[in-house]
Amino acid sequence: MADEAKRADILKRLSDGVVYFEDQKVIDAANEALEVRLDPFDAIMNGLAAGMEIVGDLYEKQEYFVPEILMCADALYAGLDILRPHLKAKEMKERVKGQVVIGVVQGDVHDIGKNLVKMMFDVAGFTVHDLGADVPLEKFAEEQVRTDSNIIALSAMMTTTMMGMRKVINMIKERNPDVAIMVGGAPLTKEIADVFGADGYAENAGNAVQEAIKMISRLREMHAKKQLGAAP
Amino acid sequence: MGENGLSSREKVLKLFKHEQTDYIPCFSGMGNIVMEGLKKYGLQFNEVHQDAKKMAFAAKATPELFGYDCAIVPFDFNVCAEVLGSKVQYYKTEDILYPSIPEKHIKSVEDIRIPSNLEKAGRFPIVMEAIRILKKEVGNEVAVGSWVLGPFTLAGQVTDLNKLLKDTFKKPNEVVQFLSPLRDLLIAEAKLYKKAGADFITVREMGTPVDLLSPRLWKSMIQPFMIKMREEIGSPAVLHICGKTNEIVHFMHECGYDAISVEHQNDVAMSRQKIGPSPKNLLFGNLETFKVMVQGTPEDVAKIVIAAIDGGVDAIWPGCDIWPGTPAENIKAMVETTREYGSKKKKER
Repeated sequence: MADEAKRADILKRLSDGVVYFEDQKVIDAANEALEVRLDPFDAIMNGLAAGMEIVGDLYEKQEYFVPEILMCADALYAGLDILRPHLKAKEMKERVKGQVVIGVVQGDVHDIGKNLVKMMFDVAGFTVHDLGADVPLEKFAEEQVRTDSNIIALSAMMTTTMMGMRKVINMIKERNPDVAIMVGGAPLTKEIADVFGADGYAENAGNAVQEAIKMISRLREMHAKKQLGAAP
Repeated sequence: MGENGLSSREKVLKLFKHEQTDYIPCFSGMGNIVMEGLKKYGLQFNEVHQDAKKMAFAAKATPELFGYDCAIVPFDFNVCAEVLGSKVQYYKTEDILYPSIPEKHIKSVEDIRIPSNLEKAGRFPIVMEAIRILKKEVGNEVAVGSWVLGPFTLAGQVTDLNKLLKDTFKKPNEVVQFLSPLRDLLIAEAKLYKKAGADFITVREMGTPVDLLSPRLWKSMIQPFMIKMREEIGSPAVLHICGKTNEIVHFMHECGYDAISVEHQNDVAMSRQKIGPSPKNLLFGNLETFKVMVQGTPEDVAKIVIAAIDGGVDAIWPGCDIWPGTPAENIKAMVETTREYGSKKKKER
């Protein structure tokens, strides 16, 4: 096990490497994390994901813009690809067994926001069913039923396509009201998300990252409550 | 015919000449077809994109029904991409679903192929014919407009947008090289529409608001393209960007367009201060096209029209395409409030 100073050093390098989009720095730090037997989950959550949270803040402050976020995401994946295979099967089971269906609604081919949100679910160890872009509306509901996923994340970048979201939400909620639905994309506002009946809303690319983290913790809470309730 | 015996078209053109007017028009450079209008001519939404006559009739129904001060074609974003070889998916559904491009077929600048005879390329001749029909049908009464994308937005339609965005940082010179032939094609497209009779052209560089690109990058990379397009297209021309634009509106203004068009995320009073007074510096905007126009009541619509006029816009202008499902009473409220409050306010000014 790594000592605390070493741990802090590696986490900082992972985080910095993501923030300053230095892929090699992240790769080196991730490999070192494995060498010194740092818990890969710790490295992912408190190194890579922590860095991405800073990126989200920088975007909010208009210091970073979308090109920068995309480069940070590349750096994050460089680390994730190294660390993820080392998560222990048992640990994977103990964490939230979350499954997400994600996609961009029919008529829309813009998938950047969707890919950023997908990344955060990947980071948190969710199983992600990525339907891609321009997805027929029924497909979301079908995939939810097929996979028994607990989150559906819908994206639309154009006013002309976001109307499809409402239909998807209705379709899914009719069959399974417990599914958490998250929407995001340029034309959406919190009010529209509410009118559509969505449970979560991401205002922009940086915010999507934070909203995804929030939704995951909300689901964790729900999950924990259910387990408590089931205990004798 | 309205005040001073001028037609709606003459008033819009007078505004574009930067002359003092006693009138605030209600129009836009972007799509404004509505279901009510389609019904009037027995049209389905999915059949108006590839047929010149149907396109023109869908467009002219809005001024006919509501007294809107313009008719605009086309309606979807894919006309120019199609000319570049993109396969456009036209949906057969009865829902309102705009055509889209599922596959980005251009990988690098070498893949860009521009047809030699543009007058016959893709849907250019359909849009041109639609403009000619509109000129014949309503051209004496209302302004007939058309629009083209900006090169960055077009690039996002035909190539991997992820890579394009990252390259703005990593390889800016390559991005400029990639965008240059697209710019020239878009200039040619705009010239064809003017040749067909369009009274004004709007350049929609929608993919470059502050939500996406830094103001610094807008100035260094996008602005030169916008200036060149302005010089080549000539007057009257409008520059439109959606999303957050307060931080770049002065850069937009520097490009020399006759008017700047912004959406609801732009604080128009602040923009007015940045670009200077009318009628030399025209500012169009900034109605929200969904939450208020589709979901709101006519009173809500009246409120945002009044707020925009008080903010100092020279024309009430939806910040994006009007959603075809917008209730008729909201379109009426938009036009009527502009007429009433606009003329009252003009007298005060």
